[in-house]
Amino acid sequence: MKKGVLILVLGLALAAAAYGCVYFFCTSSARDLERSSQPELAWLKEEFHLSDAEFKRISELHATYLPQCAERCRQIAVQNQRVKALLTGTNQMTPEIEAAVAESARLRGECQRNMLRHFYEVSRTMPPEEGRRYLAWVQERTFLCGEGMMSGK
Amino acid sequence: MNTNEPGKRDEALHGLLKEWRADAQLPARFQDGVWRRIERAQTPAASPDWDVVAGWIGRLVPRPALAASYVAILLTIGVTTGWTQARQETARVKGELADRYIRVLDPYQPPRQ
Repeated sequence: MKKGVLILVLGLALAAAAYGCVYFFCTSSARDLERSSQPELAWLKEEFHLSDAEFKRISELHATYLPQCAERCRQIAVQNQRVKALLTGTNQMTPEIEAAVAESARLRGECQRNMLRHFYEVSRTMPPEEGRRYLAWVQERTFLCGEGMMSGK
Repeated sequence: MNTNEPGKRDEALHGLLKEWRADAQLPARFQDGVWRRIERAQTPAASPDWDVVAGWIGRLVPRPALAASYVAILLTIGVTTGWTQARQETARVKGELADRYIRVLDPYQPPRQ
């Protein structure tokens, strides 16, 4: 009886140890990504098999793009507030609303153009095949896929 | 007749011993067991090597094949579960990082569900 219990416990302990070892070993890459200073860029490096030089160049592009993007985000937020304020003050189309909507569209277009330019630059920095894959991926994930437009449904 | 004299007492004892027959059966593999105990007693208590460990396991586990199968099955379950969950966790982390990368670049991303 004692032997049986001992074997049972030994088996369970071995199974738990095996689980822990395999889990720890197989999640080490994910933990490394999360621990890096810029996890999303570390992910990009791993996902698109970038060399150190390519990764350095893409990190520079990323660092250059972010402040510009933040500034455009600020302008978009201000413009959204302006449109909102104009819409609550009236029940008909006014020249001010038309101008505000046009300005919102201009800002959005500028934001999307710059984003697209950045995606192209990043893709050109990658090896050709990975660059194509990157473009296909960002196209699927961003405004480039046309989501949010009326699709006739 | 005085049976207390040493010579006569031995003869009587010899006679009795010759007539005596044991009916009781020895347990199975009794002799093997005795020899094993003698060998064990003669083996010096050196540092445990594989034979000692194997002997210990052999004594511990009444049916080694069954016990080995049981341990092997549990090990396999442990390894498979660990591997499957690690894959899921890695996919989840990578998915989150991919999402974060896009959100950093695209301010028009819909809010997270």
